[in-house]
Amino acid sequence: MSVQTATTQTKEIVAQSNNTGKLKIWSKSKWKIIGPIAALVVFLSLWQFVPIMVGVQPFILPKPTDVLQAAVEDWELLWPAIQITVAESVIGFVISAIIGIGFAVLLASSKILEISIYPYAVILQTIPVVAVAPIVVIWFGSGFNSIVMISFLIGFFPIISNTLMGLNSVDKNMSELFTLYNASKWQKMWKLRIPAAMPYMMTGLKISSTLSIVGAITGEYIAGIGGGKGGLGYAITVAAVQLKTPYLFACGIAAAIFGIVFYLLVSLFSHFMLRSWHESAMKGEK
Amino acid sequence: MEAIQNEIVAFHHVSKIYNTGTVALSQFHFSITEGEFISFLGPSGCGKSTALRMVAGLGDATEGKVEVFGQNPKEVIKNTNDVAFVFQDANLLPWRTVLENVMLPLELRGSDKKSRKEDAIKVLEMVGLKDHIKSYPRQLSGGMRMRVSIARALAAKPKLLLMDEPFAALDEITRQTLQTELLEIWKREKMTILFVTHNVFEAVYLSTRIAVLSARPGRLSSIIDVDLPYPRERTDERFTEYVDISSQSLENSSTRRELV
Ligand SMILES: Nc1ncnc2c1ncn2[C@@H]1O[C@H](COP(=O)(O)OP(=O)(O)OP(=O)(O)O)[C@@H](O)[C@H]1O
Ligand SMILES: [Mg+2]
Repeated sequence: MSVQTATTQTKEIVAQSNNTGKLKIWSKSKWKIIGPIAALVVFLSLWQFVPIMVGVQPFILPKPTDVLQAAVEDWELLWPAIQITVAESVIGFVISAIIGIGFAVLLASSKILEISIYPYAVILQTIPVVAVAPIVVIWFGSGFNSIVMISFLIGFFPIISNTLMGLNSVDKNMSELFTLYNASKWQKMWKLRIPAAMPYMMTGLKISSTLSIVGAITGEYIAGIGGGKGGLGYAITVAAVQLKTPYLFACGIAAAIFGIVFYLLVSLFSHFMLRSWHESAMKGEK
Repeated sequence: MEAIQNEIVAFHHVSKIYNTGTVALSQFHFSITEGEFISFLGPSGCGKSTALRMVAGLGDATEGKVEVFGQNPKEVIKNTNDVAFVFQDANLLPWRTVLENVMLPLELRGSDKKSRKEDAIKVLEMVGLKDHIKSYPRQLSGGMRMRVSIARALAAKPKLLLMDEPFAALDEITRQTLQTELLEIWKREKMTILFVTHNVFEAVYLSTRIAVLSARPGRLSSIIDVDLPYPRERTDERFTEYVDISSQSLENSSTRRELV
């Protein structure tokens, strides 16, 4: 009998501590949400009221309401521009992912290839893409293709270098385990090296997701529109020339929002890929 | 002829000098016959791992040669499933479930999918992990991970099992349980086991013979026949005697006594 009471007691205690635990977590995470929102509100109000008080012209520093108004008024211009930049960045990103990972696997499959080619990849990376962009335009013509190409060139290197580092970071004991079972080079690649490199690859993808947008917008500055409609970068140059500063801000903020969303999507993908094993993706479970 | 046929592992005056100049093994001469449970007992750095890795074909002798089933170890590894290795840490692939980890050797050797799974489940049953086949390594305790590692080694039905201090990182109770289980598996599967340890009790509890190695340079210092029936009683008087003998040889080995 006494044993029974003991167990019911512990159950109650467990239940209680669970409740207090939840409360604690909530009061902590509550501030994680409220804090940034409060900071944003303060920032936006300062931005709204300081220009009024100081008397700055909207074409120098537009207020948030001016920006919002410009975005709504010119929505027919803004929306297609967003779509074009999204397309350019996403295509550029996907190409850098495919070619970056593919190239890294190819280099890692042969020590000789890696030793002889990788240094050139590093040197190529140090050339500022902006400097070679006009050549890209000469080769691929002005407009969409060149812009995608520039986005690809900027996003490519973080993926190849991170993937390569991951492929070469395999634990020695695991590698020997595969040797013991007479695994072929490609079995080792598919079943050991690529899975082991996954966290590194994902880091590369996350870095490139933001860079590909930088690439696309820079590309638009340089490669123009080539007959088609322009993206956000093109819209920004036009707005700057016409002193449509509120619209320029709207374009910049749209690019920033797209950048954040894209980064979050890639992070989500990464979380999904590493779900089964990687430490940094496991925090929620502890 | 008979004796040679039953010889599973043979070290023929093996020396190993690493290119750092370290003499890890010197004139190591020893052979293991079928069905034995041999322990290499010695202080840290005396070349136990070096010797074991050569048997698995993971390293070459600088002098002399190692034979497994009368062949070059590298050939044996290449052509058969007869040798398996258990590492000191469980060495599991973190992105694979327990079942997938155990299936790995069968997968790499190209056995067909269905029998692969059946065989894996069978060995997992053997080590008492049938309820955890869908778990990931990080969800298991250290002892369970080591069980998975042993199951993986057993999956391909080896004739020779090499173990490099497999229980060194475990707590005493888990270690004793796994030792007992290992002995049961050894008896049932009629394997030959070569086991590396620096724990005297472990060596006496498990082995039919203990090879005591001495350090710097690593060489064979004595061989102890453990003439006790299984299952062994750790509190038994004769068990304690064997522990004393082994401890003594281990101590003497550091004063470089030779006995071959
Ligand atoms: N790859 C290597 N290169 C150079 N020296 C090595 C290498 N591996 C081992 N050694 C050296 O060879 C000697 C024997 O090493 P080994 O790992 O075989 O010892 P061990 O008996 O297994 O020791 P422990 O009980 O600590 O595992 C040590 O002095 C070690 O420093
Ligand atoms: Mg060792």
